[in-house]
Amino acid sequence: MSEPTPTQAFEDAFHTVAERHERVWMFLSLMLLSLLLAGAAFFVVDAYGVVVQTAGYQTHPADAATSGPFTATGAQQTGPHAYAVHMLGHLWAWTPSPVHVPQGAAITFYVTSSDVLHGFEVQGTTINMTAVPGTIGAVTYTFQHAGSYNIICNEFCGLEHQNMLGRIIVDPAHGA
Amino acid sequence: MSAAVGGSLALPATDVGAAEKRTMLAFLICGFSALMIGAAIGPLQALNYGGINAYPWLQPVLQTYYQGLTIHGVLNAYVFTFFLACGLLVYLPARELGLSPNMFLWRLCFGMMAVGLVMLLIAMFDNSSSVLYTFYPPLKGSAFFYLGMTLLAVGSMLPLPIVLDLRARWKAKRPGEVTPLATYMSAATMLMWVLAGVGAALELVLQLDPWALGFTQTVAPDIARTLFWWTGHPIVYFWLMPAYISWYCLLPKQIGGKLVSDSMARLTFALLLVFSLPVGSHHQYLDPGISPIWKAILTALTLSVALPSLVTAFTMGLTLEYAGRLRGGRGAVGWFTALPWRDASVAAQVLAMVTYIFGGAGGIVNGSWQLDNIIHNTIWIPGHFHLTVGTATAMTFMAVAFWMLPHLTGRRLFSPRLALASAWLWFIGMSVFALGMHWAGLLGVPRRAWVSYMPQSVYDRLYGLAHLPLTLVAVGGVILWLATACFYTVFIGSLFSGKLRAPVAIPFAQSFGGRESYAIGAETGAATLAHEHVAKLSRVLEHLGLITAGTAVITLAAYIPILWPMLSHLTQATGWIVW
Repeated sequence: MSEPTPTQAFEDAFHTVAERHERVWMFLSLMLLSLLLAGAAFFVVDAYGVVVQTAGYQTHPADAATSGPFTATGAQQTGPHAYAVHMLGHLWAWTPSPVHVPQGAAITFYVTSSDVLHGFEVQGTTINMTAVPGTIGAVTYTFQHAGSYNIICNEFCGLEHQNMLGRIIVDPAHGA
Repeated sequence: MSAAVGGSLALPATDVGAAEKRTMLAFLICGFSALMIGAAIGPLQALNYGGINAYPWLQPVLQTYYQGLTIHGVLNAYVFTFFLACGLLVYLPARELGLSPNMFLWRLCFGMMAVGLVMLLIAMFDNSSSVLYTFYPPLKGSAFFYLGMTLLAVGSMLPLPIVLDLRARWKAKRPGEVTPLATYMSAATMLMWVLAGVGAALELVLQLDPWALGFTQTVAPDIARTLFWWTGHPIVYFWLMPAYISWYCLLPKQIGGKLVSDSMARLTFALLLVFSLPVGSHHQYLDPGISPIWKAILTALTLSVALPSLVTAFTMGLTLEYAGRLRGGRGAVGWFTALPWRDASVAAQVLAMVTYIFGGAGGIVNGSWQLDNIIHNTIWIPGHFHLTVGTATAMTFMAVAFWMLPHLTGRRLFSPRLALASAWLWFIGMSVFALGMHWAGLLGVPRRAWVSYMPQSVYDRLYGLAHLPLTLVAVGGVILWLATACFYTVFIGSLFSGKLRAPVAIPFAQSFGGRESYAIGAETGAATLAHEHVAKLSRVLEHLGLITAGTAVITLAAYIPILWPMLSHLTQATGWIVW
């Protein structure tokens, strides 16, 4: 064998350093991912209310529009500071809309669709869930500020998808 | 010609694998033709977000934004990528091993996908199936659409037996040796893709095909959506892994260096094979009908799939640095500027990698359940995947075309300067476009909405805050139009340019401690290096069969608990044709 060439010597030195740096990089990567996972796990335990829950099923999605809780026209009080809103997505509107809810109360939105998939997004909040025909989902959210919030359909649902909008009006709490 | 001299080892200097070259060229041209149509439509969607509604002028070719978007998504994300992957993942291993692939299966793959493509084009251009590329039922397209999609999907799985056959033949001749890298990666990619494809294949064959043909009247939308994402997430790795093959196996040679770690490259692909499969339902974090416990497990699995990409970032960074320093680069950034930036194929791939850093970081945000609440189905999401598949993958495939067209046709690349310009324009256009999209997504602007067709007052009330980022989206789209025009001038020009004197070899790279390539047409022979070193890890990772079996078990373990409640509360939804 001949003497290693300068290129070979450089390659060997580079390789030695690279292996050390590789271990550091792997450690940092695993730490990053573990921390993110811990954050997500905390989210599940504490929930912040906006984890989507399953509230029921409906064999024939169209039935939701004609009978049952989704025919209600506004929010119902379910506790001292708790309200329920049954929100139905259908081609191409949200019902009920506009819907009034009080500021500072826990509002549970029950959402489904009577036809195709829709997306229930409330602009400027963390409320974001899929309206799946045949499945009823639920999220709970507390509006801290009074005002008008836009509901935007964010799942493609046909020609008028962009105009499938709704409105939530958060009324100021008493004395606010 | 004397058969006595050199025996069977003396291959004729010309026309080695002419049939393979022709078939590869067919895959390349078909894929890039699809992208040409899809990319030409793309900027119209960008203008839509900028408030400019171009569709009234496009009658009768395109009726609506949603029809254009369907064509854009299907042609770019499925047709372009599948044709490129199914070509490259057979051609590169065959050339790396110096073996001829099973041409019948490879041509059958092309034929099935081509027939599927024609059916899809009919169904999309007659506006009968403007269901977007996610085709969620109960939106109901025409039977042509679903049958075409079935043919495209099943055809795209055929490279698996071809690659496994190549690998088996090679290993039979060299027992105990580790599979060469490009072949290993191609096999891992195809194994991943066939396991992944099971989801969409089940959705199409059991649910959508019989429904569209009238054999069944209703469909379960939640099950269809879950099966779709079984495939729909791993599909991003079917887009990405062929680009990684170019980065790991070819680019180091193109920049005059070596791949710094062969075993980490293999580990990356083995991890991608395992972790890309069971995580698809993270696209359903915000769906009801799936237990939060499973969503938490999906979060853990999803973050795990970031690991192989973080490893890739490290290995590729070092590989670039090694080559840059060999070329005389000094200091903290000198190695980066010392790379051969005037080579369009190199520039496009390095820019693709730079873009991918941001795409990958955004992906970690999407995969983190709680953050997904903010950006799910906003235009942050298309902003994200235009950095990943739209740049990291697409620009790498363009970079491959820059050397592969001369390699396949023996003709010179038409205007290398224009090729370089197309790479930079694509990079700049996509950066501006994606910045706007991510930003507007944070302001709640939904993805895939025909917002330019809304009343102006409503548009302003909802999206007025996002005026600046949405303008960036439109500007980025126009720059991308220029990039596309430059690229296709080069692509088409290269099919008709002057003949080269010497053949262009495939730039198979060598790794640290690895042997020279076995490839046909490589500059050096297949001599074993004196200091060859095969890492123990590489030997362990040779057991692709075991890794695949383990992946299949994990995938079933992930999906049975998700699908079970849906099957026991079966929804019967009727179809809707509403576009």
